[in-house]
Amino acid sequence: MTTKTIRAEYLKGLWDENPVLRQLLGLCPTLAVTGTVITGLAMGLATTFVLILSSLVVSSIKKLIPAQVRIATYIVVIASFVTIADQFLKAFFYPISEALGPYVPLIVVNCIILGRQEAFSSRNSIGRSLIDALGMSTGFLLALLVLSSIREILGAGTFLGYQVMGPWFKPWIIMILPAGAFITLGILLGIALKIESKTKRS
Amino acid sequence: MSLSSRMILVLTTVGLISGGFLAGVAKLTKERIALNIQAEIEEAIKIVVDDAEVSTVLYEEEDLVIYREMEDDGQLAGYAIQATGVGFQDKITLMFGLDETLTKITGLTIIDQKETPGLGAKITGWDAFLQFWEDRDATGLLILRKPPVRTPSELLATEINSITAATISSRKVLEIVNLSLEKVRGLIAEGKIPSEEHDDH
Repeated sequence: MTTKTIRAEYLKGLWDENPVLRQLLGLCPTLAVTGTVITGLAMGLATTFVLILSSLVVSSIKKLIPAQVRIATYIVVIASFVTIADQFLKAFFYPISEALGPYVPLIVVNCIILGRQEAFSSRNSIGRSLIDALGMSTGFLLALLVLSSIREILGAGTFLGYQVMGPWFKPWIIMILPAGAFITLGILLGIALKIESKTKRS
Repeated sequence: MSLSSRMILVLTTVGLISGGFLAGVAKLTKERIALNIQAEIEEAIKIVVDDAEVSTVLYEEEDLVIYREMEDDGQLAGYAIQATGVGFQDKITLMFGLDETLTKITGLTIIDQKETPGLGAKITGWDAFLQFWEDRDATGLLILRKPPVRTPSELLATEINSITAATISSRKVLEIVNLSLEKVRGLIAEGKIPSEEHDDH
């Protein structure tokens, strides 16, 4: 693997193949837990943990898995890491775990994770799979952070719980409600498409 | 090896390894998770019963736990009732305190809720909702005051303040408390809460 390909493998997850903004994958947690930055960050990190470890395991055992049971095997591997992440949050970050509710166990059905195992880790080396997982999870985490920052600042006037807007600011409650998630994501997708079309033209 | 045998072998092996890992993780985190839940309950009890130091579970069923609270010197501090019921969006778990005679609510706090952020979630706010739960009458049915008042002194002892634009959430909390109180009164009548606990006063 050359230095250039490692870099490209990592960077593709950040923009060209960003799971949220370009592939529209993993939208359930993206919409559901981005009402505050702390829950968005926790979800991004939990997903990063699951994606990286699942990719390492799947790419390590890919030759041993018969094609007929590959999806079932991937799900068992992913579900195990999700359960570990869930237990860890409950034990060491109890308030965040309570705030995320059922969305941590639901990482099992996040299409980004199963998608990367099927499309990448099952066909590539351990090193390359690790870089791909790092890039994809960074892209997912960044998208969640942008979305949750906009929603928390406009919806509550705070960032990470600290007041950032003056007393003149009246919070737009709709931004922390489900409708605010759809509106913000729609605008971000529009901006991403605009940037992409401009980049292609130039 | 035939394909079927390989499929069974791979899935069984992956399942066993995963199961083993998860059993280990569960063993490592079990105690800490239990402590977190316990700490959350203890914190809620201290909010609703003044000077509560030693808790004893008097009665327990699904969605209702009654604790007797003692002070450091062994004096009865009051009772804490943990109850769960249906909210506007999802279940609400709350804790409220009763005085030594089981006739007055001493305070209420919300342990878990998933009400609408910015609206129904105001049930967790002191100014908007919780301050109006102190010194409420626990001998009969409590009713919702609508439209809401500004200060607790404007309420009757049998009234609970509603929340503007979140009447349903405030009513749901009231329903959970009313149901729990009815249950508590029933348990006293049945003698399941020792009579000397409340006859002393």
